[in-house]
Amino acid sequence: MWHIAKRELSNNLNSLRFALATVLLLGLMLTNAIVHLREHPERVQRYRERVSGHQNHIAAHASNGLYDLAQEGPGNLYKKPSDLRFCAEGSETFMSDRAQAGYHRWSTGTLKSFWILAYPSATPNRDNVRPEVTKVDWGFIIGYVLSLVALLFTFDSISGERERGTLRLTLSNPIPRHTVLIGKFLGAFISVSIPFILAVLVNLLVISTSSGVHLDAEAWGRLGIIFFVAVLYTCLFLALGMLVSARVQRSAVSLVILLLVWVVFVVFMPSTLASIAGRSTSSGPTYDFSERSWKLHNELSSDYYSRHYKEPEGSTKRIEIDGAYVTKDAEQQEQLHEARLNRRIAEVHRARTITRISPVTIVQNLIESFAGTGFERHLQFLENVQTYVREFRTFIVDTDSADPESLHIFGVRTGMSQEPVSPEAVPKFEDTLNLSKDFNTAATELLLLTLFVLVLLSGAYLAFVRVEV
Amino acid sequence: MMTTLIGRELLNNLMTFRFAAALLITLLLVVANTVVLIKDYEQRLKDYNTSVQTHHQEIREKETYSAGEVEVDRPPNPLSIFNVGLDKRLGNEIWIAHNNVPTLWEARMNASDNPYLNILSSIDIVFIFKVVLSLMALLFAYDALAGEREQGTLRLVLTHPVRRGHILLAKYISAMLCLLVPLLLSLLLAMILLTTTASISLGTDDFLRIGGIVLTSIAYLSVFYLIGLFISAVTQRTGTALMLAMFVWGALVLVYPNLILATIRSSDIPEAKAVSAFNEIKQVWDEFDRERKHFLATDAFPGEDPTFNINGMGFFYEHFPENRLTLLYLYNSMMTFGELDEKFEEEVPHAQNYFQFLIPSTIKTAERAWLIRKQALEDTLVQKSNMKRTLLKFSPVGMYDAATQAWAGTDLKGVRDFFDAVRQYRQTVIDYFYNKNAFASRKWFAADEGAADWRTLPTFSFKRSSVEINANRALPDLLLLLTMSLLLFMIIFLVFIKSEV
Repeated sequence: MWHIAKRELSNNLNSLRFALATVLLLGLMLTNAIVHLREHPERVQRYRERVSGHQNHIAAHASNGLYDLAQEGPGNLYKKPSDLRFCAEGSETFMSDRAQAGYHRWSTGTLKSFWILAYPSATPNRDNVRPEVTKVDWGFIIGYVLSLVALLFTFDSISGERERGTLRLTLSNPIPRHTVLIGKFLGAFISVSIPFILAVLVNLLVISTSSGVHLDAEAWGRLGIIFFVAVLYTCLFLALGMLVSARVQRSAVSLVILLLVWVVFVVFMPSTLASIAGRSTSSGPTYDFSERSWKLHNELSSDYYSRHYKEPEGSTKRIEIDGAYVTKDAEQQEQLHEARLNRRIAEVHRARTITRISPVTIVQNLIESFAGTGFERHLQFLENVQTYVREFRTFIVDTDSADPESLHIFGVRTGMSQEPVSPEAVPKFEDTLNLSKDFNTAATELLLLTLFVLVLLSGAYLAFVRVEV
Repeated sequence: MMTTLIGRELLNNLMTFRFAAALLITLLLVVANTVVLIKDYEQRLKDYNTSVQTHHQEIREKETYSAGEVEVDRPPNPLSIFNVGLDKRLGNEIWIAHNNVPTLWEARMNASDNPYLNILSSIDIVFIFKVVLSLMALLFAYDALAGEREQGTLRLVLTHPVRRGHILLAKYISAMLCLLVPLLLSLLLAMILLTTTASISLGTDDFLRIGGIVLTSIAYLSVFYLIGLFISAVTQRTGTALMLAMFVWGALVLVYPNLILATIRSSDIPEAKAVSAFNEIKQVWDEFDRERKHFLATDAFPGEDPTFNINGMGFFYEHFPENRLTLLYLYNSMMTFGELDEKFEEEVPHAQNYFQFLIPSTIKTAERAWLIRKQALEDTLVQKSNMKRTLLKFSPVGMYDAATQAWAGTDLKGVRDFFDAVRQYRQTVIDYFYNKNAFASRKWFAADEGAADWRTLPTFSFKRSSVEINANRALPDLLLLLTMSLLLFMIIFLVFIKSEV
C-alpha cells in the first residue's frame, strides 16, 4: 500500500498542478494573514474603548442615583471580536456588533420611558457604493479553492491509469483492490495536504509572530479543530473525485462531470437554496412592527391618562399608577422587540437548514462556529446580553429593596431609593466565548459532513471493486 | 475548404459529453434561478407599491406644510434579474425636504426584510454565466490544438493545402457556435419565463438592453475561449493544458476579484479631504445660524425665541444632525400645531414673518452646502469605489460584470440617475411651495384655519435612462472585451504559425 501511495505522491509532486496549487494557496493564505494583521488590532482597540465607554456610562449614571441608572439602563453592549476572525468573517459584517440596552422612546413633563433592550441590525451595504466581494478568509480558501484543488488532483487517478494501461499492470500484482484504492487515496491526500499545510503554516507563522495579535491556548485548540474540518472536507472531494474517476472511462469526461458537480454544489447550491429559503420565509414589512408598537403604546397611555387624573397630585396611589404605566410600557415594548428578534432568528435557522445540503455551507458554518464568528456566535452574544440584562435588573430591584426608605415603586423618581449607588457594585458586561457550546451547535454539521465522506468513500470503493480494467 | 473545416469541428464538439453536460447544467441552473429571481422581484415590487401608497397617504394626512416631508420610493429594476448590481443594496426610500439636497447616502431601505438573511448569498443570471460559461469555454478550448497535436491529426490536416489561419478561424467559429447553444437556449427559456409573468412588463428598450447583455456575454465567452486556445497553443500535452486552464480559471474567476479588494484598505475613518469639506459645510450652516439668530434678535418680537412663545397640541424641534462619513450636516427644524389658542393670535404674524425669512434662507444654504458636498462626495466615496471597480476590470470577469450592470441599469450610474431625478423633483416641490406662498402662510405651522392642501402636489415619477445611455455606459467595457478577443486571437495566430507540428 505504501508503495502505491509513494508512487502516487512522487507522480503528483513533480506535476504542474502541485506547483500551481502551492502558489495559489500560499498567495491566498499570505494575503489573509496580512489583511488580518492590518485590521485586527484596530478592531480590538475599538472594542476596548467601547467597553470602557460602557463602564464610564454606568459609573456616570450610578452616581446620579438609582432612578437614573434604572431609567437609562446599561447602554450599548458590545460583541467581543474573535481572535480567529481570519478563519471566517464572511457573515460577520452583516451582523451588528452591539445590543442596545438603553433604547428610549418618549418623555413627558414628569415621566420618562424606561430603557428596553433592542437589537439594532447592521446594514453595512446601505451607504456604500463599493463593489461587493467575498472576503478572503479560511472559509473561502478551504470551501472553494481547496475543494477545486482536491478534484483536480483526483479526477484522473483511476481513469488516467486505465487510459495509459498502468492500472492493469498494477492489478496484475497480488494486491487486493482495496489496498490499491487506499494507497491511491492516501497518495492524493498527502499531495493535497502538503501545499495546504504549507500555506496554513505560513499564515499562522505570520499571524502569531506579530505583536498586535495574541493567540491563546484555546485559540490554538480551535485552529486544530478547524484544520481537522478542512481535512475532512478535503477527503470528501477526494472521495468524490475517485468515485467519478472509477466509474468513467476517460479522464476528460471525469473532469467535466466533476467540475460541473463542483460548480453546482459549491458555487450555485448555497446561493440558489438561500434565495429560495430567504424568499419563502420573508417576514412582513417593518412598518407593521412600528405600527404595532404604536398601537400598544397608545392603548396603554389612554388607559393611563384616564386613571392618572382621578388620583390627587402627590398621592402614593398616583405614583403607583405612574410607575405601573412606565414599567408596563417598557415590558410590552421589549417583548415586541424580542418577539421580532426570535422570528428573525427562526427564519435564518430554517434557511440555514435548507442550505446544509451543500457541503461548502456545512464547512463554512463549521469554521464560523469554531472561529467564534458568524450566526451561532451572534446568538451566543445575544444570550450573554440577555443574561446580563436580567442580572442588571435584579441588581436594581435588590438595591431598591435594601433601602427601607424607598417606596419600592419602579418607574418614577420619587418611588425609588434616593441613596447613592456605588458604581463598583453595578454589574458590568463582558462578552465571552464558550467552546463547549460551539461543539454543541456544530455537532450536527460535523456528523453530516462525516456522513457525506463515508458515503462517498464507500461509493468509491464499490465503484473501484467492480471496475473492469 | 473553410466550411469543411468548420463542419468537422462542429461535429467534433457537438457529439461530446461535455457539450451535453454543459447544456444541461446551464439550462437547469438558469431556469431554476430565474423562477426564484422572478418571485424575488415580484416581492420587491409589491413592497414598493405598498410603500408608495403608504407615503401617498401619509403626506396627505399632514396638517401643516412644515410637517410635510415628502417621501419618494425607488422602484425595483426588472433587469436586476439579469444582474442585480447595486439595485438591492442601496436604499430605496428617501425623504425630500427644503433643508437638504438628497443623495443616495440619505436613502433608507423601506423594507420588509430580515437583515440576518443577508448572511445568505444571492445570485443572478449573469453570475451563472460568469462562472459556468467561462468554465465551459475553457473546457472546449484546452484540447483544441494540444489534443490534435497529441493525436497527430493536426499534422494530417496540415498536409492539405490549408492555411493555418483558416484552421484557427474554423476552430474558433465552430466552438463559439457550440458555446452559443447553451447561452442562447437558456436565455430563451429565461425570456419565456419573464414574458409570461404578468407583473413584469418589458418594453422595447428592455429587449434592446437584454440584447446588449447577450452581446456582452458572447464577447466574454470569446475571451475565455481564446484564453483556453492560447494555453492549448503553447502547451505540448493536453494534461498540462487542462491543468493550466483550470488554474487560470480559478485565478481569474474565483481568486482575483476577491484578492485584489482584500488587499486594499477600506477604513471607516474619513480622510483629510472629507474632513475639510465637512468643516466647510458646517461653516456655511453656522453662517446661516448666525443670520437666523440675528433676525430673531432684531425682529419686532422681543427675545430670541424661535417658537414666539406659541404652544399647543403639536410640537416644535430644531437641531443640527450630522454624519461625518457622508458629509451630512443640516438645520432640521419643525413647528406644527393642530389647534392654536386665541391668545397666540398676536404672535402669529411674527412667526409668519420669521418663516418667510427662514425657509428661503435654509433653501439657499442647502444649495450652497450641496455644491461643496457634491464635489467632496465625488472625490472621496465615489472615486474610491470607482478605483476598486477599475481594479476589478483587470480580469475579464470584472469587465463582463461592469458591462452587464451598465446594460441592466443597476450599476452605480444607473442608480444615481434615480437620485438625480429625486433632486429635480425636490426643486419642483420647492417651486410648488413658492407658488402656494406656503412659507409665509399660516398653514406652514398651524392648521387652525384649515389644513395644508396637498391635492395639487406634483407626483414623482422616475423613468430609467434610455437604452442609448445604457449602451454608452456599457460600450467601453464591451469594446475592451472585444479588443482583448482580437488581441488574443492575433497572439494565438502568431504562436500557432510558428509552432512545429
